[in-house]
Amino acid sequence: MGYACAMKSATLIQASRLLLCALIAVTAVQAHAAELRIGLSGEVTSLDPQFLAAQPNLTVARHIFESLTDVDPQTRLIPGLAERWRAIDATTWEFNLRRGVKFHDGSPFTAEDAAFSLARPLSIKGSPGGFAAYVRAIASTTVVDTHTLRVKTKYPYGALPEDLNSILIVSKKHALNAGPEDFDSGRALVGTGPYKYLRYQRGDRLELTRHEQWWGKAPAWDKVTLRIVPADPSRTAALLAGELDAIEHVPSADIKNVNKNNKLNVTQTTSWRTILLHLDQYRTQPPGVSDLNGKPLAANPFMDLRVRRAISKAINRTAIAERVMEGLAVPAANIVSPGVFGYNSALKAEPYDAEGAKRLLAEAGYPHGFRVTLAGPNNRYINDEQVLQTVAQLLTRVGIQTRVEAAPMSAFLGRVRKEETSFALLGWGSFAADLSLRSLVAAPNADKGYGAWNWGRYANPKVEALMEQALGSVDRTKREALAREAGTLAMQDLAFIPLHHQVVSWAMRANLNYVPRTDEFTFAHHFTPR
Amino acid sequence: MIAATAPTGVLAASYARDRIALIAFWLLLVLLFAALAAPWLAPQNPYDLAQLDILDAKLAPGTQSSAGLTYWLGTDDQGRDMLSAILYGLRISVGVGIASTALALALGLTAGMIAARAGGWIDGLIMRIVDLQLSFPAILVALILLALTGQGIDRIILALVVVQWAYYARTVRAAALVELRKEYVEAAVCMGVSEARILLSHVLPNVLPPVMVVATVQIAQAIALEATLSFLGLGLPITEPSLGLLIANGYAHLLSGKYWISFFPGLALLATIVAINLVGDRLRDLLNPRLG
Repeated sequence: MGYACAMKSATLIQASRLLLCALIAVTAVQAHAAELRIGLSGEVTSLDPQFLAAQPNLTVARHIFESLTDVDPQTRLIPGLAERWRAIDATTWEFNLRRGVKFHDGSPFTAEDAAFSLARPLSIKGSPGGFAAYVRAIASTTVVDTHTLRVKTKYPYGALPEDLNSILIVSKKHALNAGPEDFDSGRALVGTGPYKYLRYQRGDRLELTRHEQWWGKAPAWDKVTLRIVPADPSRTAALLAGELDAIEHVPSADIKNVNKNNKLNVTQTTSWRTILLHLDQYRTQPPGVSDLNGKPLAANPFMDLRVRRAISKAINRTAIAERVMEGLAVPAANIVSPGVFGYNSALKAEPYDAEGAKRLLAEAGYPHGFRVTLAGPNNRYINDEQVLQTVAQLLTRVGIQTRVEAAPMSAFLGRVRKEETSFALLGWGSFAADLSLRSLVAAPNADKGYGAWNWGRYANPKVEALMEQALGSVDRTKREALAREAGTLAMQDLAFIPLHHQVVSWAMRANLNYVPRTDEFTFAHHFTPR
Repeated sequence: MIAATAPTGVLAASYARDRIALIAFWLLLVLLFAALAAPWLAPQNPYDLAQLDILDAKLAPGTQSSAGLTYWLGTDDQGRDMLSAILYGLRISVGVGIASTALALALGLTAGMIAARAGGWIDGLIMRIVDLQLSFPAILVALILLALTGQGIDRIILALVVVQWAYYARTVRAAALVELRKEYVEAAVCMGVSEARILLSHVLPNVLPPVMVVATVQIAQAIALEATLSFLGLGLPITEPSLGLLIANGYAHLLSGKYWISFFPGLALLATIVAINLVGDRLRDLLNPRLG
């Protein structure tokens, strides 16, 4: 007993000494160097910028790496590592690369690195992927000189500059033969971006220091710590407690209080992410769909436009935006968010009309409704699980008895790939309506890279023809008109049910500022002191 | 074996000598009644989506709805009456706890008796499976099972049975081994009583008391485990919330001051588990010969 006590007090003294040292160290650091600690909401699966095209991975990767084309906070294309680009002919793009750009190891960035980076996504073994879609159109790349790169496409393709925004440029010297594990260890983690790798603890934090030779305007922070805090209440709590200087994705439950807190500053904007419901439009007996007694229906009700319209009318988008999302959503009628390339402001969100929905259901031959199972993630989008429940509640009220199956994103996606769902929630963000259509609405075709996320296998040749024309146009004005027309057509036919566009928000200490980004990305170098 | 031979009346009287255990017993009765009678007691059927109104979401305790219903414990983020949701949630939690414990008990009892009687390699095999099972944390096994089988009340009961049966098997085997060496068993063997009869009419009744104590405590464990799994979003469907899921729903609102969404279901869960544990502890004191 006495021994244990002695031990305890010894440890206590030691602990207090450590604490004191830590305190002194912290004060010292704060006095000499500007540090920014940001709470991120997504789990990072790999530091390899070309391993998985998921936003949490790209958020951290974009601190270290850059792409040829960049986008501004409103998702408009701006120069990145390429200063200029133009289409020489229908199938050739030329990129003039920025001069004087240095990698973190001091070596110069050249067209060789760019060509290597564009070829790398297809060569990574065991990659769950997502990047292949962005380089699929490329037939070949030619290094004209150290700072000129020509990209030949397999077919006329206007969206290459947008696609190349997703491909981050790695150093050929360090990434040659390097796998994702070399990036996680920091060995191959050499880019041209504003921050350099310092330390990484998987699932916890990534520490970065400023890249002093960066070509852009020097960021205000010498050191940046990106903390991974997926649990919403913990993220807010850490900000309130002063453990973090800023957080992304302010939880909707906390947004009102955070807004009221004068020690904090909140910025927000409509995100590019559209939350939508995919409906099975290819099976006669979709799983989870039955009559009210659980017996199979004679036909797939989702294939009937009247049923799709009834579902759309039954959903009270305003109530979801105000009650469930606490204002962090804008009711949607478009495939892309307001302001995004190809958005049609003439389309208005379907007003809530339960009686109209019941009438349409009766017309379609379901006067008493039917049963469906609605599936979706419970950890991916803002209040996803609550949105699922509310949709179920609203549909049940017009007679479509809805059961909800919510699961973590990875488990949910597994079920989607096994085709076990017929009515499912997805969130999608893109720079352009034609790119969204290609992923969400075009009939699935692995060779062309179409419809990878068209879970309902909706197919409409007219929409697809317009979309292909849009993607094939290197003239941006013509392309946008075509994309808008294709998107409008798909929405009038309810290829899927649009719910809302998310509103993305950041909260930070009152003496900081952040220009809210439509693409939801959180960049330490864009935080500025006020 | 005082307990096994003591009449029920004596047992009840000695149980009642502990005031706290007595209070726990009555609390448990009230909770069980509330769970059983939920459909008649609850002002709203929280599982009927047509009865919920999103416009009534997140109302504070005591608020009246547009339809004139008073939400005594407030509403959650779907406009569910918390009181009704807790009563129904209690029903699921207690039901899952009892069903999984009963099934696990039956399985464990059979396996334990077989192991004790057969001995040799059969005993070895069963007990190694038990060891293997117990070497994994219960929550891990349950998480893996649910990830593989998907959601549903039957899946969660299955997962809880898989997690729990080994405890019973081990307890039963140990108790049965002791009993099998006793003279009355030898006497029965000499008298030519059949093996099945020895096991079922002679050994089993003497094995049961310690197992019943384990079972009472295990019900509380099962309820807590179910709540944990539901809290993690792997248990029951979100539209049919058990207590764990109700707590999870309110978790996000704690910082915004809407305490009632998590607090009241948490209180109900706490009361249930503490009551069962107190009753189980008292029973153990009375029935366990080593402590008695």
